[in-house]
Amino acid sequence: MKPIFPVAVITFKEGIRNRAVYGIIILSLLMLTANFLICEIIMREVGKVAVDIALSTVSFSGLLLVLFVGINLMAKDLDKKTIYMVLARPISRTHYIVGKFLGMVALIIVSNVIQGCFAAASVFMLNSMYPAYFQRFSWMMFILALVFIVLSLTLLSALSFLFASITSTSFITLVLTVVSYLIGNSLSDVKALVEAPKAAGIDPSPVTIKVVQTAYYIFPNLSFFDIKIQAAHGLMLSFPFICWTTLYGLVYTAIIITLTCAIFAKREFP
Amino acid sequence: MDTIITFSGISKAFKEGISGRRVQALQDISLEVAQGEVFGFLGPNGAGKSTAIKLLINLIFPDTGQVLIAGVDAGNREVRRSIGFLPENPYFYDYLTAEELLMFGGRASGMEKKEILQRTDLLLAKVSLDHARKRPLRTYSKGMVQRAGLALALINDPKVVILDEPMSGLDPLGRKMVGDIILELKGLGKTVFFSSHILSDVERFCDRVGIIVGGRLRLEGRLDSLLTVGETLEDLFLREVAKTGQKEVL
Repeated sequence: MKPIFPVAVITFKEGIRNRAVYGIIILSLLMLTANFLICEIIMREVGKVAVDIALSTVSFSGLLLVLFVGINLMAKDLDKKTIYMVLARPISRTHYIVGKFLGMVALIIVSNVIQGCFAAASVFMLNSMYPAYFQRFSWMMFILALVFIVLSLTLLSALSFLFASITSTSFITLVLTVVSYLIGNSLSDVKALVEAPKAAGIDPSPVTIKVVQTAYYIFPNLSFFDIKIQAAHGLMLSFPFICWTTLYGLVYTAIIITLTCAIFAKREFP
Repeated sequence: MDTIITFSGISKAFKEGISGRRVQALQDISLEVAQGEVFGFLGPNGAGKSTAIKLLINLIFPDTGQVLIAGVDAGNREVRRSIGFLPENPYFYDYLTAEELLMFGGRASGMEKKEILQRTDLLLAKVSLDHARKRPLRTYSKGMVQRAGLALALINDPKVVILDEPMSGLDPLGRKMVGDIILELKGLGKTVFFSSHILSDVERFCDRVGIIVGGRLRLEGRLDSLLTVGETLEDLFLREVAKTGQKEVL
């Protein structure tokens, strides 16, 4: 563990001081301010709208953080050869990946805590202004939704590390990560659609069904972590679902990082 | 004297472009550097100097042969505890300060915080960066980055110091400072392995030199035994390069 910690520390410091992080936080503050305006304009289901906007803001900001700060943290090391100064120390390539990833996870957590506090403050104020609309609201579900956003972003970040370890440019890593995010969020619906085609009035070929089913088991199902609707409607989740989803996120992330380490161990830096 | 660096029958090729054509960067290099020696590695651009240095740091792996440091394979990360490395044109983290950079280097080498702080004060004063120690590295000039890199290479008080073009990007004052540090390291009995294009510097500091052209080690030995009366290192270098038929020199 000893060699991992210094890498995690510099990754976190480099990430948190990046100007893009401040831009993301300002953007989320603006979106949360807009929450008040939108709720005042709509004046229907204020509780659901407020919670949905607040959680969507945190989730979107986290996505920007992973895509534009996280990917660069790794890609810049490879592009600018900063990795030389790290690997010149008694640090193995596996230590480097794990340290880098833990630094990124710390960045995701800190960023989410800050934005989660802003989001909670906006929901709290709207709750005080319109208590009648928040009768089914549960803070526990709100916090659980924030935790699931962290898990989802951590998994996405692990995928970006995997792509960075096999590609040569940060742009390709970015494209592959965005594609994985889109697939991961929509695969569940697409699978349900092709498996029950009559209900949707479509006629997919057997090959299409097989491709979708295969993709379903390869790509991470990020929609598991999206419980914004449940939080907005004050619907409780079963304890086994919470445990299995958490375990799914952690195990999937661990597998991806292990695979990344195995690939990186053989990589040269000419 | 004990051998500290050994290249034994090293060959290395890289794949180039989409076609995957293999380009031979090093061919059957065998070389030994003794403890306490200052060894200068010379060669025209693209001769294979940096490739050899990257093999020492395990940034790349040899196709054939073995690289040893103090008798241990360069692939063993523990050997890097006693190595300091300054890459050519170093680039560090933009938002870290010089202090934080050295703290990272020390921590990663397993040093205690107190010792790191002491060495940081000493080294930043030595490379004249004391005044800029709390500034982010992205605000540094090229020469300042080079000097910060040199301080980082020395933070763990290494036995072996590997410098890839250490004079690159430095003004005459900076070059003098690096030269003084190399001489000081020599005085302390450290081994210095460095590549440079500036032959007058090599002549000044080195006990032994190796001349590499086209990935092959053409000449290697003590300077005083290689140079004939009235001959400079530049004459020797140009003669060796001319023998290979290469036009590009320095």
